[in-house]
Amino acid sequence: MNFSLTMSPSDLLLLLPEIILTAWLCLILIVDFSFPRLPNEQLAYLSIAGLGATLGCLVWFNIGGVTGALFANMFVLDRMALFFKMFIVGSTMLVILASIDYVHRFKFFRGEYYFLIVMSALGMMFMASANDLLSVFVTLEFSTFGFYVLVAYLREDMASNEAGIKFFILGVFAAGLLAYGISLVYGETGQLVFSDMKLTEVTPGLAIGFLLIFGALGFKIGAVPFHSWIPDTYHGSPTPVTAFLSIAPKGAAFAILLRMFFVALATFKPIWVLLLVAASVLSMTYGNIVAIAQKNMKRLLAYSGIAQIGNVLIGLAAGTKMGNDAILFYLLTYFFANLGAFAIIIAVSEAIGSEEIDDYSGLGRRSPFLAFSMLIFLLSLAGVPPLAGFIGKLYIFIAAMKEGLYVLITVGLINIVISMYYYLIVVKKMYISEPHDPSRIRVSGPIKAVLYVCLAGTLIIGIYPQPFTDWVVSATMMFSGLVDVPLTAIPPAVINP
Amino acid sequence: MGDYALLYILFAPFLGAIALIFVSNRQLMLVRGIAAGSAFICLLSSLYLFYSYDYVKGGFQFVQKFEWSRQLGISLHLGVDGIGTPLVLASGILLFAGIFVSWHIKDRTKEFYIWLLILAAATIGVFMSLDLFFLYFFYEMSVIPMYLLLGMWGSHTKKYNEMTDPEGLKLRDSVGFIYNFGSNSKEYAAMKLVLFLSAFAVAALMGILLIYKYSGLNTFDILVLREHANLMHIPVLGTTLDKIIWLLIFFGFASIAPLWPLHSWSPVGHAAAPAATSMLHAGVLMKLGHFSIIRVAFEILPETTRELMPIAAVLCMFSIVYGGFVAYYAKDTKYVIGYSSSSHMGYVFLGMAALDYISLTGAVMYMFAHAMATGMLFAMAGWVYDQTHTRDIPSLGGLANRMPFISGCFLIGCMASIGVPGTINFIAEVMIIVGSWEKYPFQVIVAVVGIVLTLAYLFKMMRGLFYGPMDQKYSHAHDAVSFVDRLPLLIMITVSIGFFFFPMHLYNVVRSGVDPLIAKITRIVPLVAESSAVKLAAPGAGNTLSAVSPEPTATVPVGGGQL
Repeated sequence: MNFSLTMSPSDLLLLLPEIILTAWLCLILIVDFSFPRLPNEQLAYLSIAGLGATLGCLVWFNIGGVTGALFANMFVLDRMALFFKMFIVGSTMLVILASIDYVHRFKFFRGEYYFLIVMSALGMMFMASANDLLSVFVTLEFSTFGFYVLVAYLREDMASNEAGIKFFILGVFAAGLLAYGISLVYGETGQLVFSDMKLTEVTPGLAIGFLLIFGALGFKIGAVPFHSWIPDTYHGSPTPVTAFLSIAPKGAAFAILLRMFFVALATFKPIWVLLLVAASVLSMTYGNIVAIAQKNMKRLLAYSGIAQIGNVLIGLAAGTKMGNDAILFYLLTYFFANLGAFAIIIAVSEAIGSEEIDDYSGLGRRSPFLAFSMLIFLLSLAGVPPLAGFIGKLYIFIAAMKEGLYVLITVGLINIVISMYYYLIVVKKMYISEPHDPSRIRVSGPIKAVLYVCLAGTLIIGIYPQPFTDWVVSATMMFSGLVDVPLTAIPPAVINP
Repeated sequence: MGDYALLYILFAPFLGAIALIFVSNRQLMLVRGIAAGSAFICLLSSLYLFYSYDYVKGGFQFVQKFEWSRQLGISLHLGVDGIGTPLVLASGILLFAGIFVSWHIKDRTKEFYIWLLILAAATIGVFMSLDLFFLYFFYEMSVIPMYLLLGMWGSHTKKYNEMTDPEGLKLRDSVGFIYNFGSNSKEYAAMKLVLFLSAFAVAALMGILLIYKYSGLNTFDILVLREHANLMHIPVLGTTLDKIIWLLIFFGFASIAPLWPLHSWSPVGHAAAPAATSMLHAGVLMKLGHFSIIRVAFEILPETTRELMPIAAVLCMFSIVYGGFVAYYAKDTKYVIGYSSSSHMGYVFLGMAALDYISLTGAVMYMFAHAMATGMLFAMAGWVYDQTHTRDIPSLGGLANRMPFISGCFLIGCMASIGVPGTINFIAEVMIIVGSWEKYPFQVIVAVVGIVLTLAYLFKMMRGLFYGPMDQKYSHAHDAVSFVDRLPLLIMITVSIGFFFFPMHLYNVVRSGVDPLIAKITRIVPLVAESSAVKLAAPGAGNTLSAVSPEPTATVPVGGGQL
């Protein structure tokens, strides 16, 4: 194997978003250390400004069609990578905005909190571009590193410590699986870059290797049977971290999964489809059924998140270009709904200091805005029209239907009904039950901003999805060589019989 | 106006709901005004739609098409035919009436009207969708407002309130809650309704997705699918695909109709719902089931419909008789009306199952007629409940003294529901019976028994509520005296009686929608003008129509001649 690292200055352009963010990361740290008395709101807005610059750069790349590959294909910047980078940067911005109030709970290291969040985001941005097994390993660990600290940030809270330990032990275990899998695959193929692996036959080493890699990524996205860390970690972590953990790493991990299955393993589709079908059915059913029994909002969303990932895996199991579009679209709808729901949990727990579902009683009277937003987000997660989640689910089902995955669709449809039950229990608490304490709940400005963005996203995608479907279709354009969908010419409608 | 009538009808309630978000609950009159105003625009436009629908031309009119998603092949394709038009009108009337029926709601008035308007708009959306996706979209969208309307403004049933410690029950929020039949609380009713309807709706969605895949046209457009989709003779699981799709669609949508044995959510839901919601629910929401079956199964799978529609003919008997008997023994006013609705929906299924020109026309007219009749009854049951705070028939009585206007209207409502001549229900019922006699004589006999049952339970309820001795604690109950309270009842009574004397426009409009459909399904050469006139002259229907019609020449159905 022959590495030749030649780089021209113009190649650096492809790394510009990461370079901006790295520079800004240093700036955040320097400002934090130089001005210890700076109110942490200022630091939050500073981080958001940096992320905004990065996002602007990504948008410019996306519009300008800047793509390319660096370092012997270790780092690729295609439109899908751009999509996921925007996804990650966007979620980071909203999470930081939502945590401005929450940070007052930390007794120490308030400044470092923002540093760690932005650092994880940087790691995940590299993950979205990782195109070979080595960079997958490095970037995955890079992004998880920040989370190990963030999850245990409430130092005096036992639940947070427990969450941190659980996440750390299982995370390290997953990293071990990943490293072992990579070594097996490298041993079998002698290649690390996905696109260079010309796989023709399945050998036991290769199969075990890719299974281990799938396991490690399954840990990241929280698919059954790699989900066991999710409920406790989500429950114990500081809520903004939970929100971050429930969205950004999943997006980044799906970028890698898509590259792995569609570039490296494209020839083995009939085999991995079975694996994905099994993981999808288990995730949806397990997540939804266990969610019914939850009494805590964060645990409810943790289990519902497991179920949602099961839905996304339907799209992956479809294994077509349309399936990939559907995955990206679904993640987009999940992004707005889930982040919005967590922002409300932050707002409510700031006001009443509780995250139990029972304490949401009468939220409709205490704060009509919060209750209405929660209603919209939960119904979007459940998949009720005219909200984004419905279109996302339908997109996934249509993609799977075209591939004839009837069992998967049937299970998915039944799960919609099951999930509706526990989401509606929360709605019942908010609107029908009488409040324990009728005082009004005030919503702070930053949280309101997050909620407005998420509400707008959920409603606009639900009512007019065309620009967003166009976006995801162009984002996965490089997979279009894998499948060709013959588009039947649609005959004109006959109005009068 | 003109071509955009459908957009006005569909978006007036939506925009009204959006406008209401920005109004404070303290400005009560403004809230009511916005709600009533948007409902009025909706009503006026649907009246315009109904009277300017060209039944000579037939087919889908007022068509609007906007591309919505290229990748998925979805477009917002709106249009009404002769079947959708009267149902849109019925929705418009009931929404307008419902706004006034709920005029006195004090608790969170704004939110109530928002959800009521969204409910009505979604229902109307189904009646005008020419795209399978949007049909499902609006269908599912109409279910969720029901949850909030029932849960927030509904009422528990008597049994629930009598329990010693209703709120102390264990496991109220766990799975056991679903099976907790003892507690008939409004929360239970709301949850049951949503889960039941969603469960069957996803079955219908599965059918829709199968149509989408196997048609291979990459479109959800009903007009394209009915011309080009070839779903016949694809073997699947020992049967053929079209049968599986048909059964999914039929039972998926029949649950909201509600066809026995899928009806159990409906009376519970009716009983828990506030009056205006019950009106919309029984008046138009239940018709979504029949309408969607006609729009999807009849249009896209005509051959299979001919083969499998006898299923409906069998089940509708149980609907009619079971609903009637339970209504006779029920002690709760809203249960009586709820079960009577589910019984009456059996007639519509009978009319659909016979697949005959007259019977299907009768079925669609019956949907319209029943919307008015049951709307009246629910509005008045709601009034009685507001005055007495009970729906328990044995504890009520003698209210006729206190509320002469309501008891008079109630009598008219019962007459309409029974189908006494003088109301449009009579014409529709007779057409169903005459049209299906040839094919399903036994079912027709059952249906006639059902009419007798209707008479029995409605008059039993009438006597229980308004006659006999009155409990003194109800002496404060008062009549509907103000214009606002009387208006909704007067509107529905006028429509119900008016269409009895002038039924020809309604008949022609419906007929223009029914004719191509039945011709396609039965493959019987469509009736030309004179042969359908012969058919109309059959005992019952013909006599009535020509006897009451102001211009006798109009008995020649113009709609029949267009093919």
